[in-house]
Amino acid sequence: MLTKKVKKRVSFLSLLLISLVLAVFFILKSLTSNILYFKSPTDIQLSQDIVSKKKIRVGGMVKKDSININNEEIKFIITDLKNEIFVSYRGTVPNLFSEGKGVVAEGTLKDKSFFIADRILAKHDEKYMPPELKDLMKKNAK
Amino acid sequence: MFNLINPSRIFYWIEKLINFINSIFFVILIIALTFALILSPPDYLQGDSVRIMYVHVPSAWIGLASFTGIALFSILNFIFKIKNLNLVSKSIAPIGLLFTCLAIITGSLWGQPTWGTWWVWDARITSMVVLLIFYILFILSHKLIEQESKANKVSNLIAIIGLINIPIIRFSVDWWNTLHQPSSIKLDGTSSIHPSMLLPLMLMLLVLLLYCALILLMKYKTEIIRIKKKNIKRI
Amino acid sequence: MIQNIISMNGYGFFVWLSFAITFLACGALYYKTYKTLKKYEKDFAKELNQLSEEEKKQVLEKSKVASEFLASYNKSI
Repeated sequence: MLTKKVKKRVSFLSLLLISLVLAVFFILKSLTSNILYFKSPTDIQLSQDIVSKKKIRVGGMVKKDSININNEEIKFIITDLKNEIFVSYRGTVPNLFSEGKGVVAEGTLKDKSFFIADRILAKHDEKYMPPELKDLMKKNAK
Repeated sequence: MFNLINPSRIFYWIEKLINFINSIFFVILIIALTFALILSPPDYLQGDSVRIMYVHVPSAWIGLASFTGIALFSILNFIFKIKNLNLVSKSIAPIGLLFTCLAIITGSLWGQPTWGTWWVWDARITSMVVLLIFYILFILSHKLIEQESKANKVSNLIAIIGLINIPIIRFSVDWWNTLHQPSSIKLDGTSSIHPSMLLPLMLMLLVLLLYCALILLMKYKTEIIRIKKKNIKRI
Repeated sequence: MIQNIISMNGYGFFVWLSFAITFLACGALYYKTYKTLKKYEKDFAKELNQLSEEEKKQVLEKSKVASEFLASYNKSI
């Protein structure tokens, strides 16, 4: 079955696939900052060129006991467990927005540790379980 | 090895399989829907909106698996020049297109109540749209190119190029920050879905796979007849 | 109970709509595939029957698929 023709086609195909993979890899590598849907607080701390008027997204976890609501303004802290950023927001939040859960905020930076959001999205994790089980786990943790 | 897909005794088996699937399909469908919509518990965080997962996740899996299948057949066909493989991949394409569309639509319907948005351009969702474009190109190449051998060549090339996109979709949630959550079922088989929710998910997957088999068999039969009809004087 | 299943604690619209879209789309593709198959079967049978006796005999002898097709098609009508 492995005639000369077949061998030739196999080598051509593997060459094509390898070059395609390499090309795609380099394209994606150079586009990384555009592919990232949001930056973490650490990314923002480390970045050199902060343009304050530019719209960006910051994502991470809502820090426990940090949500503060008054006069329709919601203030909370996004953390990635290394760095934190204060967020101020006016408007409605999604149902899943709560302490200790993932969040993505869209808006502008005032400075490296203060962010004014004009849209809040909730990010949930990949774990699914019934509510009774979650209560049981909470009890065990205490 | 390739006798199984050789269309000489095939009509008999296609008929038999179609009848068998038809006889069990609705029973399994009703069981799966009962579990998915009534018996399975709501999620601790997402409540009842988690039930969208039972159509969203199988659709996405089938969309990905179909394209992988098409691409592998294209590679085999490119190397060994087996004509029947073209008929098979041509028969898979509409199934993959349908389920990729469904994964995107149901995902949008799931995103609104949970994330708070219908649509975002994050890496997972964008790469799924790229997959959709590849399906459309594949099907269009068969529709638009009159000459059969040329159409096969072009569509094979599209499928092989599109294969690169499959691992990108699978790992997009691990490589980059995305709004989409990471995979619940890992490659090593561990799952972070509670068994009471995994059961309806697998049942719905079974139902949709049976449906895919039905469509594939009917479409494959159509393709064989089309080929034979074209060559009727030369058979 | 039934109220609960329909409303799904406020998520009913999204859940029911996604299930409905899925099954409607599947039904539509099934219908289309089925129709096309029947059309091709009919055309193929017609073409086979239009051949002269000599040609038909030759075709059926050479092609298992054609003879098998004709047998199962005639049975189904």
